Amino acid sequence: MRSRPRVQPASGRGRSPYRGYVYVLPALAVYLAFAVLPALHTAYLSLFEWDGVTLGDWVGLGNYQEILQDPILRRSVFNALVLVVFFSFVPIVLGLAMTGLLARHRRPGMGAYRFLFMLPQVVPLVAVGVTWRWLYGDDGLVNQALGAVGLDGVTRAWLGDFSAALIAVGLVGTWVLSGLCMMLFLSGVQKVDPSLYEAARIDGAGPVREFVSVTLPHLRGELAIAMTVTTVAALASFDIVYVTTNGGPGEQTTVPGLLVYRLAFSEGKVGLAAALAVVLGFLILLIVYLINRLSRSES
Amino acid sequence: MNTATRPERWSGYALLTVMAIAVVMPFLSVFLASLQPAGTPVVGLTWPERWSWDNYERAWSVAGFSDLIRHSITIALGVVPASLVLATLAGYALGTARLPGGNAVAAFFVAGLTIPVELIVVPLYFDLRGLGLTNSYLGVILVEIALFMPFSVFWMRTHFQSTPASLVEAARIDGASSATILLRILLPLARPSLMTLGLLVFMWSWNQFLLVLVLIQDTTKHTAPAGLGFFVGQNSTDIPTLAAGTIIVMLPILILFVVFQRSFVAGLLQGAMKG
Amino acid sequence: MDRTHRVRRRVAAAASSVALVLPLTACDALTPGSAAAEPGPRSVPSSTAVPGEDITLRLQFADAPLMVDALIAAFEKDHPNIRIEPQYKTFSDYVQNLKLTMTSDTAPDIAQYAVGMTDLAADGHILDLAPYREAYGWDEAVPPVSMDQLTAGRTSETTGGRALFGVPAGLSMTGIYYNKELAERAGIDSPPRTLAEFEDQLAAAKEAGLTPLGVGALDSSGLHLWAALLNQTMPTDDYWDWVNGAKGATIEKPAGITASELVIEWSRKGYYNESANGTAQVDSTAQFAKGDSVFLINGNWAAGQLATAMKDNVGFFPMPGVRASARTVASGFSVSYAISSRTEHPEAAGAFLDFLTSPEAGQIISDNGFLPANPKAVAKPEGVLADIAEGHRRAVADDGITTFPDFAAPAMLDRLRSGVQKLIADRVEPADYLDSLQDEWEEHHAQ
Repeated sequence: MRSRPRVQPASGRGRSPYRGYVYVLPALAVYLAFAVLPALHTAYLSLFEWDGVTLGDWVGLGNYQEILQDPILRRSVFNALVLVVFFSFVPIVLGLAMTGLLARHRRPGMGAYRFLFMLPQVVPLVAVGVTWRWLYGDDGLVNQALGAVGLDGVTRAWLGDFSAALIAVGLVGTWVLSGLCMMLFLSGVQKVDPSLYEAARIDGAGPVREFVSVTLPHLRGELAIAMTVTTVAALASFDIVYVTTNGGPGEQTTVPGLLVYRLAFSEGKVGLAAALAVVLGFLILLIVYLINRLSRSES
Repeated sequence: MNTATRPERWSGYALLTVMAIAVVMPFLSVFLASLQPAGTPVVGLTWPERWSWDNYERAWSVAGFSDLIRHSITIALGVVPASLVLATLAGYALGTARLPGGNAVAAFFVAGLTIPVELIVVPLYFDLRGLGLTNSYLGVILVEIALFMPFSVFWMRTHFQSTPASLVEAARIDGASSATILLRILLPLARPSLMTLGLLVFMWSWNQFLLVLVLIQDTTKHTAPAGLGFFVGQNSTDIPTLAAGTIIVMLPILILFVVFQRSFVAGLLQGAMKG
Repeated sequence: MDRTHRVRRRVAAAASSVALVLPLTACDALTPGSAAAEPGPRSVPSSTAVPGEDITLRLQFADAPLMVDALIAAFEKDHPNIRIEPQYKTFSDYVQNLKLTMTSDTAPDIAQYAVGMTDLAADGHILDLAPYREAYGWDEAVPPVSMDQLTAGRTSETTGGRALFGVPAGLSMTGIYYNKELAERAGIDSPPRTLAEFEDQLAAAKEAGLTPLGVGALDSSGLHLWAALLNQTMPTDDYWDWVNGAKGATIEKPAGITASELVIEWSRKGYYNESANGTAQVDSTAQFAKGDSVFLINGNWAAGQLATAMKDNVGFFPMPGVRASARTVASGFSVSYAISSRTEHPEAAGAFLDFLTSPEAGQIISDNGFLPANPKAVAKPEGVLADIAEGHRRAVADDGITTFPDFAAPAMLDRLRSGVQKLIADRVEPADYLDSLQDEWEEHHAQ
């Protein structure tokens, strides 16, 4: 956020400067009561061993220790990080490549494309998951397409395959987020002064150099935003996993969100679930912080 | 400024089209499947022999999707107006008044952008149950308002910061109170921003799954995505009905997207900040 | 920039001080669970009178929707003032949400008994039905054996006898369905008498170019297969000890290894449908009905559906033993229903449970492929339903109905599901798989 010239205080002459808080309080109260306090409460619960019913036992950091040791919990964090590659890295690379190819010219008809590319972004992830669950099935579109190009040999139920399931779930994320990244970058590029491109051309710059020296530096802000949004989407990918694989086969696609839900509500390990939620929240915070730190230090 | 050569231009379009097809194919596949006779096995992309809307009728009435949609709308109608009002008030004060500690409060809201549902859902269930707010739309509405509040406040604050200071100044010299300034002068100008925010909040509310799954146990009170999540387990063999249900769940948001495309895209791109 | 930095530091300081203070003030009142109120009465009244006012009951269940609909319709005809609203969930959704559901204020009045009910009974979330047992005289109508599975290991506080937390409608059992036409094509002419014979038949089906065995291992069919094999290799007493959490019980025995190795071996030989791990139980059943495999592992809850779809072309047998003379052992439980402590109408709910023990209900249960708790009351079933009734009769006579392995601990279902998926994918050593089950068992039965 850039700081802008400020308007004079809306609070009138001679009144208390705190009067303006009357406007802020309702929003603040709801936010505190139903988001901030529950988050702190999660941190508090994570210090107990509690089944959700009887009196809990104080275990200090014991639950965090268990997260470090339990192979399934560790695996879920690892899976989430793999998903970051598919939800974040691939869409950003795709988006940048498209932007590099399209940056130089304004094209008529972009509105229609923009509409299509943003489509996966607006529909419920549950509906996306249900759709892909079928597309990846024995009789789904994916196998049909592979069969059509003569790859009958590799068809399978992708979500039930140990080596393919996590990648398959990841590619759903790629499908959802690529359009968003692309549109973000394209709209960022439109703010670039066209004369810079002309200057680069006159200097004899090819498309690659043009991209690296003109386009990319102007997209720093958009890159930071895209990275933040997609990474958070990857780490909090409960919806898609719940309806496609429910964590299977084995623990191949088990993610922290799924375990938080299971541990707390069907396995009676509320404290452990809370600790895992805290780890997840902390991971998100850390990544967002790092991205912002990096994008700022470069500017 | 069209400096592109002909092949360059066409290759660009070709690439865009390939991407667009990749995006559209899944939707098309589901849509075509939803037109097949109920209960028949469907393979990938198959053109229906005759167009039949029976599955929609069945999903709508028999499978109870009409109730699910109604519940989702009830929740969204609670969340959207409340979010707009609260965010406008807070954004106005934080954006135009020089509040002592105002920046700290704004930063406190922005910090909430990173709170995932997973982080709060466990204690929420136990706390709200104690208050009798589980299985209640009010509980879900309150939590959703709180979840979207960081973005909403951030969005409205940014908007009010960008309105010309002279407007407010002139009104104040005329002796208008702070409430009058907001209602009479700033609010009419804020229409586009409010519109976009309303659409985004509606979309997030509509798409919310985990929260509803936990807070609403009574399946007869489920929302559209939660209902679909359960429906897929029971009917994974009946692809046509499942496909029709999926389309029904997506449809309201798709209609809004088509009608308000410009605000939507602008909001999603500018508002991508939301964590 | 400076300003925001300072601000951020201040926010961080405030947040961390709150975080520090909270645990320090953790007196008893803040300990999670201390505010938990008693959910309500722990036991039903002992009278069988049903009020005449209009009553609506909600029934949540996971098995056999067609049967439940028919039972409700028949019950509502006898009791016009009582309406029952069925809410069906798939088994995995049901079990995953059971505790949330039953501890919420809007818990259904009646709910199917499943894993987790033991804990719910201990905490008073479902009613002890022992008073009804006497008042309605259920001991006459239902063999006490089937009610013994439903005591949650507790004594009734009201009657002083054994507690009762559910009434069985039908009894369930897992086994193997076979497609008669396809079996004939593979040269298989009769159900196998031994496990070795069954393996030969699977090999013959493979030889004939057919998919031998359909398994819906995405959810629960995989564990049914493993348990069916375990039933043949492990003495039932050892198995019961383990499921019931008896001190010192373990699954890490040679019998467990043998059963797990069989699951792997059959996979290596290509006996399962190719996408077993990606196929849900309902999907594997639908595929079997279409003729995609010769055999199918599933329970009798699928019988109604298969009998309708395949008519005379389908048969059933319990997993055969290692020797022809072995006892018939199969996993099974009752499809039973419990009453929530939060119900406002325990009398009406009791009337419905009592209806389940009637001959009329027994007939409906039998028609849907389940075994009524009291088989004498119903007409002799036909076709695949007769195969199931016969298999069940043998297993009961041999005292060979074992419960499902996921009853061993709340998290066991997930361990079993993912574990068997790994066995099928040949991704885990049998010993490591059993070790993961035992770890979960020890954690749950630690006290």
